[in-house]
Amino acid sequence: MTKTDSPPPARLNDLVVLIAQSRDARAFELLFGHFAPRIKGYLIRLGTSGAVAEDLAQETMLAVWRKAALFDPARASASTWIFTVARNLRIDLLRHERRPDFDPNDPAFVPGQEPAADALMMRDDEDANLRIALAKLSPEQAEIVQMSFFADKPHSAIAAELGLPLGTVKSRLRLAMVRIRAALGTLP
Amino acid sequence: MTIRHHPGDEFLLAHASGAGSETVSLIVGTHLALCPPCRVKVASMEQMGGALLAGIAPAEMSASALSSAMAKLDDIAADKPAQSSDPLPPVIAPEPLRSYIHGDIDRVRWIPIGPGVSYRPLLKRRDARVQLIRTAPGAGVGTHTHRGEELTLVLTGGFTDVTGSYRRGDLQTTTPEIVHRPVTDADGYCVTLAMTDAPLKFMSPIVGVLGKLFGF
Repeated sequence: MTKTDSPPPARLNDLVVLIAQSRDARAFELLFGHFAPRIKGYLIRLGTSGAVAEDLAQETMLAVWRKAALFDPARASASTWIFTVARNLRIDLLRHERRPDFDPNDPAFVPGQEPAADALMMRDDEDANLRIALAKLSPEQAEIVQMSFFADKPHSAIAAELGLPLGTVKSRLRLAMVRIRAALGTLP
Repeated sequence: MTIRHHPGDEFLLAHASGAGSETVSLIVGTHLALCPPCRVKVASMEQMGGALLAGIAPAEMSASALSSAMAKLDDIAADKPAQSSDPLPPVIAPEPLRSYIHGDIDRVRWIPIGPGVSYRPLLKRRDARVQLIRTAPGAGVGTHTHRGEELTLVLTGGFTDVTGSYRRGDLQTTTPEIVHRPVTDADGYCVTLAMTDAPLKFMSPIVGVLGKLFGF
C-alpha cells in the first residue's frame, strides 16, 4: 500500500464529494489510504480478527464508493459518515442482523430543524472541539464512552464487567454526554 | 405532538455505536422517526464515533488491498439519493417499524390474549423480543415488575401508570425496581411497540395476560 500523508478533515470531505460528483478514482485512493487502516484498527479493537477486519475495511471503502452521493457534508464529516457505513456493514456481515433506522423520506417521519446554512463551516470547528472535549472527560467517563464504542456489549454487561451498579454506568454516561454536547453546541 | 418520555442515553448510544442488538435498534429507531431532539443526540454520538475512528491507531492493510479494491470500482453502480415519495395518507407506523409489519398498523393480524388485549410478535433475538400490543380503552395488563429492562413505545392512543402518562412517541423504560399497572387511556385503542430482555414477574398468583405475552 502506498503511504499517504493524512489529508486535513475538510479535504477528506472534499474527497467523498469528488467521488460522488465524478467517480474520481484518485480521490478514492487517498480516502482508502487514510480510512481503510483506521477502519481495520476500529474492527480489531472490537475483537474482530485481522483477516476479517481487513476484508470488512475493504468492503466499507467499496460501500463508500457506491454510496458517496448520499454523503451530505452539511450533516456530518467524512469521518462520522464513514464510521456509520462501517458500523452498519459490521452489523450486516458479521452479526447477520438488520439495522433498523428511521427514513427521513417516510410519510410518518417528524421533521426537525434542518442544519443551518453555516453548518458546513462550523463542522470542522465542531470536530476539533469534540476531540478536545473527549480528551477532557474524567477517566471514569472516558472508560464508559470507550467501552460503549469498542466493547460491543450492552451497558448492563459493561456494568457487570466493571463491577459497578448499572445506575453508576448510566450516570457517568449521562455526564459525559452533557460535556460532549456542550462542546458541540447541541444542548437544548 | 410533544414527546415527554425519551430513551436513556445508554439506549441511544447502543443504537449509535452499533453495540445494541436489532431489537433495541428497532424500538429506538422508531422513536427517532418521531423525535427530532433525540435525533440531535444520536447525531452527536455518531460524531463521537467519527472522532474515535479518526483518532484510532491505524492497522496496516496488506500490500494488495488497495489494488484489489481499485479493480472493483468500475463494476460498482452508484447509489442515488432517495427521492421523497408521493404524499401518502396519514401513517401510524413509521419506518423502520413499518418494514417489520409489511404495512401500517391496520395490516397487523392481532392475536387476542385476554379481555381487551391482543398482540403480535415481531422479532426475537437471543434473549430479547419485540412485539406489538393493542389494548382497549380502560383495559390493563395487570400489576407486574420486570426481571430485566422493558422498553415500551406508544404508537397510538395512550396509557397511564404510577410513573406518568404516555402518548404517541413517548418511550417508557422500566427496570426491576418499578412495579406498575398500566391502564389504557379512555380515548381509544392504544398500540405500543414493546421490547423485553427477560420475562416479566407478576405480583399476584393470578397471572395477567402479559404472562402469556412475555412468559418465556
